[in-house]
Amino acid sequence: MVWGAWICLLSPLAASCLITLGGTRVSRRTAGWLATSACFVAFAGAVASFVGLLTHSASDRQFISTAWTWISGGSYQSGLSVLIDPLSTFMMLVVAGVGALIVWYSIGYMDGDDEERRYFAYMALFVFSMLLLVQAGNLILLLAGWGMVGLSSYLLIGFWHQRPSAIAAAKKAFVMNAIGDATMALAFFLLIQQGNSLEFGVLGGEFSSTVANLVALGLLGGAVAKSAQIPLHTWLPDAMEGPTPVSALIHAATMVTAGVYLIVRTHAIFEQAPKVADLAAGLGAATLLVAGLIALVQVDIKRVIAYSTMSQIGYMFLGAGVGSYPNAMFHLMTHAFFKALLFMTAGIVIHALVDEQDIRKMGGLRQLAPKTYWAFLVGSLALVGIFPFAGFFSKDSILAAAMAKGGVYGYVLWGIGLAGTFLTGLYTFRLLFIVFWGEPSAFVREHFHPLGRDVVAFSLAIPVGVLGVLSVIGGWIQFSPWWHPVETWLRTVAEPIVSPSSSQEWTSIALSLLLGLTGIGVAWAVYGAHRVAVPRVVWAQRTLEHKFYFDEAYDALFYAPSVALAKFLRRGVEQPLIADSGRDLGDDTRDLGGLVARAQTGLVRTYALAIASSVAVLAIVFVIVK
Amino acid sequence: MIALLGPEIAWYLSVAAFLFATGAFGVLVRRNPLIVLLSLEIMLNGANLALIGFSRNLGDGGGQIFALAVMAVAASEVVVGLGLVVALNRKRITLDVDRLNTLRG
Amino acid sequence: MTTLLICLPLAAALIVWVLPLNPVSAGSLSLLAALAEVGVWIQLLVRYDFAQGGLQFSEQHTWINDLGVSYHVGVYGFSVWLIGLTVIVMAAAIAYAFWAGRERARAYMGLMLFLTGAIVGVFVAQDLLLFYAFFEAMLIPLYILVGVWGGPGRLGATLKFVLYTMAGSLLMLAAIIVYGLSEGTFDLVAIGPSSSQWIFLGFVAAFAIKAPLFPLHGWLPDAYRESSPEVAAVLSGVVSKAAAYGFLRIAVTKFPQPTHDFRAPILALAATGLIYGSLLAFRAPDLRGVVAYSSLAQMGLITMGVFAVNDLGLDGSVLQMVNHGLVSATLFLLAGMVERRTLTGELGRLGGMARGRPALATVLLTAGVIALAVPLSSAFAGEFLILAGIFQRGWGWAVAGAVAIVLAAMYVLRLVSAVLHRDVGPAVSDSALDLRPAELGVTVPLLACLLALSVWPAAITQHSFHDDHAADDVLTQFK
Repeated sequence: MVWGAWICLLSPLAASCLITLGGTRVSRRTAGWLATSACFVAFAGAVASFVGLLTHSASDRQFISTAWTWISGGSYQSGLSVLIDPLSTFMMLVVAGVGALIVWYSIGYMDGDDEERRYFAYMALFVFSMLLLVQAGNLILLLAGWGMVGLSSYLLIGFWHQRPSAIAAAKKAFVMNAIGDATMALAFFLLIQQGNSLEFGVLGGEFSSTVANLVALGLLGGAVAKSAQIPLHTWLPDAMEGPTPVSALIHAATMVTAGVYLIVRTHAIFEQAPKVADLAAGLGAATLLVAGLIALVQVDIKRVIAYSTMSQIGYMFLGAGVGSYPNAMFHLMTHAFFKALLFMTAGIVIHALVDEQDIRKMGGLRQLAPKTYWAFLVGSLALVGIFPFAGFFSKDSILAAAMAKGGVYGYVLWGIGLAGTFLTGLYTFRLLFIVFWGEPSAFVREHFHPLGRDVVAFSLAIPVGVLGVLSVIGGWIQFSPWWHPVETWLRTVAEPIVSPSSSQEWTSIALSLLLGLTGIGVAWAVYGAHRVAVPRVVWAQRTLEHKFYFDEAYDALFYAPSVALAKFLRRGVEQPLIADSGRDLGDDTRDLGGLVARAQTGLVRTYALAIASSVAVLAIVFVIVK
Repeated sequence: MIALLGPEIAWYLSVAAFLFATGAFGVLVRRNPLIVLLSLEIMLNGANLALIGFSRNLGDGGGQIFALAVMAVAASEVVVGLGLVVALNRKRITLDVDRLNTLRG
Repeated sequence: MTTLLICLPLAAALIVWVLPLNPVSAGSLSLLAALAEVGVWIQLLVRYDFAQGGLQFSEQHTWINDLGVSYHVGVYGFSVWLIGLTVIVMAAAIAYAFWAGRERARAYMGLMLFLTGAIVGVFVAQDLLLFYAFFEAMLIPLYILVGVWGGPGRLGATLKFVLYTMAGSLLMLAAIIVYGLSEGTFDLVAIGPSSSQWIFLGFVAAFAIKAPLFPLHGWLPDAYRESSPEVAAVLSGVVSKAAAYGFLRIAVTKFPQPTHDFRAPILALAATGLIYGSLLAFRAPDLRGVVAYSSLAQMGLITMGVFAVNDLGLDGSVLQMVNHGLVSATLFLLAGMVERRTLTGELGRLGGMARGRPALATVLLTAGVIALAVPLSSAFAGEFLILAGIFQRGWGWAVAGAVAIVLAAMYVLRLVSAVLHRDVGPAVSDSALDLRPAELGVTVPLLACLLALSVWPAAITQHSFHDDHAADDVLTQFK
């Protein structure tokens, strides 16, 4: 079990190092298979840990394996350790499993790229980082994984580094994440001061409410940055500059859901700081609404899916914020399945259309690529949460939990969540109808080229097929009114603090299903059958197209001032005061030296006379003083 | 006491001071490097005389030892100095110390 | 053992200076000596008893009896790491100089070896006057190395460097004399603590100039820009650590009361330097400028850790000294390698070098990533400990540090992108080669040290102070 966890953690790292060090001695195809098989080995390791845990009784499912002391300072110490408990194995399975499928898919998608080796080294590094994040045995290693994930996403988003837009997007993602890292680090400093430890157990200690609030706020800052929630969400749509499998890996299974994992993992502190937990739920609700609205007007196929990711993670934040941890994790899992599926089918579409991502040029692909269409349809239905697809089972129980939280706030959250299901149906099927229905557009007819029957096609098709199946059946493992194995499994780590009644469950199920179907219906009326014209409200559309002006505001508030400050310091302080002070000092010294140098006649006798007369003066002084 | 025989210490010091002043005057006013070197030797010998005088007066051998060391130094100094003079001569440079003022600031 | 560490490079320097060797044999002899020095250090590392801690391998011979001055050398746990940093970076610098080929190789190599011995001397001296002697002996070869082998603006740079460091040295000398005479001994181990603020400020001023701390960094940009890359690597990587070592070994340890009194202003200067350096690094127009100002920022951070005077801060600053030494040396050497290919360090004229140059891209990216202290790197471990330590002296300092972490991400990514990414810059020709094996041989070992430390930063933090209780060590004055 313990060795399973270590294998799970280290095999992607080993693959990454091998590919990097091997250089051109490793062929491109080999690099791809090396990374893929390493991820599958990691998945096997995760399964081994899972099976190992199953053999223990429910109360005895927490193991920490420490390799050595990683960092120390006086009596504070943290080990290089992995944690094996129900929550971490749950995440290991999702990350390694979905990750392996995506890396496999990449073999087909990246075929023919100049720098496949680098790509697969980065992918394996990413999977390692994510596994480090979820397996970390203490908070500082969690932060280490957290930062490594940020680094590898930077590398992957900026993979096509000749494109200025890709590099800008990568830098933006990294800096936004660094802000989150910084707030988390501050929270950890406070924890060290208060508890002198960064083990997970320290979070359960007794803290004053100020300390608990500050720590929870710091952690929330990290979670919000990583999970692209308002207000630190602006990096995510730009991150679509990376290759499509990267988008799938970052936005589906792994990175962006890390924030949810963090809240669930550290729920003890959030329970001591209920205001901050409410804030988390509120941010989630705001994000799911805002992202859903923005998704309505996007014209880039990947950006629509990216905004839907933000929106779905909003649901998870909502769930985690109200204290329904297992349901948040469950939604995380099903979301990983269907969102990876959607990204990968979108990738196939983009691939078939020679890297075109603008949906206005697409249309009628149902006739040309029926299998892709079906896969996309399955993913969309699961995303909207239509019975019996995966999203149905997980999303509704989050809404029920919001309802069970009660109070005005709980009902507001619940209402926003319901509104979100309508939006989800609308934007998802807007995309589907525009891309796949109708007659093939001129652009599609000209550029479409179907996949062959070679290795490339298979490595694209098989992972999509597997995820398609999972999107259909993956949700059935838990149906909250009747059976809940996920909740039972996670209960020892993250006991939910709300328990919806059965009537709340059924109300949420019925309403969200209804609203989701309404959304689909409206989308059909507008984009599928063209019965209704798209309503035009100029100011609303402009606001949405500018994504609520977040980018512009940050630019004006933070980036521009810091550049201006740096410029001012360079021109106003460094140059005149510091650099020139040195120069002036030098010049003055030289002038003074010139002055004194006149005494140097170059004649020994002058010097001798000076010496003699000085000695004489000294002698006289000596005699007089004595 | 042997130290009491012979002239008073003041006599020795007077002669030493005279020698030293003569030497110093020579160093300051003469231009020929050879004479300057010679004057230097006179200065050193004045100092030596003072050392030995004190040594005799105090009954301490240290002064005599020191005088021997000064002589050794003086000898090596003459070697260097004469070497310089010869070098100057070889380069057909006038033997006038006032012309050798390259060190002027 | 300790004396051997000092004398081996000095003797080698003498040999290189005296024997009429040709440049190649002079270079190989110097490199051999530098590597032998690394070997001696490894012996030291293995033999030092970390469980016991304290002063080991000490040697004492009377020098000036009446004044209580002696040749007293020895190593503590943390000095083992600083010596290691010195010998490794110096070996890399000498190897690079040998490979790149410098004019008058014998003189150059001799000076580099002499510098090695002097820096090691600074880290092992246990007598104030001896410390001062080594401190000055370290500066002299640097004056010559910058002034003779530097770039076009070398004279101005040297003049500034000399003026600043001389002023600092004189203050330190005055402080040493007053301190030593008033305590009746110059022995660093035996001398008692003092509460004199003036003596304290004399030491602090000297170290603050050498580090440098804001606003005493006037010499830094020019010296780092104008010297040859390996000298810049040594200056920022190793020589600046001598100042941080002085803060730790003398200022904080021997002057507990003044340290307490002046903590706020010193921390304020350090924090200002941290933010200020980071902002300037973000706008610096050239490669070396970015690294130079980031050095200013990092020295501010290290100073903050030292003046936190608690276990976390001191552990963190020792670790960060080693990290920053290795990483800034690597970056300066890389800057030199890039400049060799493009004849310019201007970021605006570079770009697109990643394409077709995988080794350069990988090495530069790795160094950059460690420089920006991405979590899991040893630099992260160091910064984390320092900030955790300083947090306990006031949360505001740690917030400043956290802001600087974000700024560091911004300036390092700007540097990396400007060199490697986007369109190919006008100064980059297609014939510019990837890193040669020799260049890899210089940079990869440095990076390997950093990666090894990333896997096990506790190697340093657990083995720097007795029983890992740095604050106690400082309190008892390392006795």
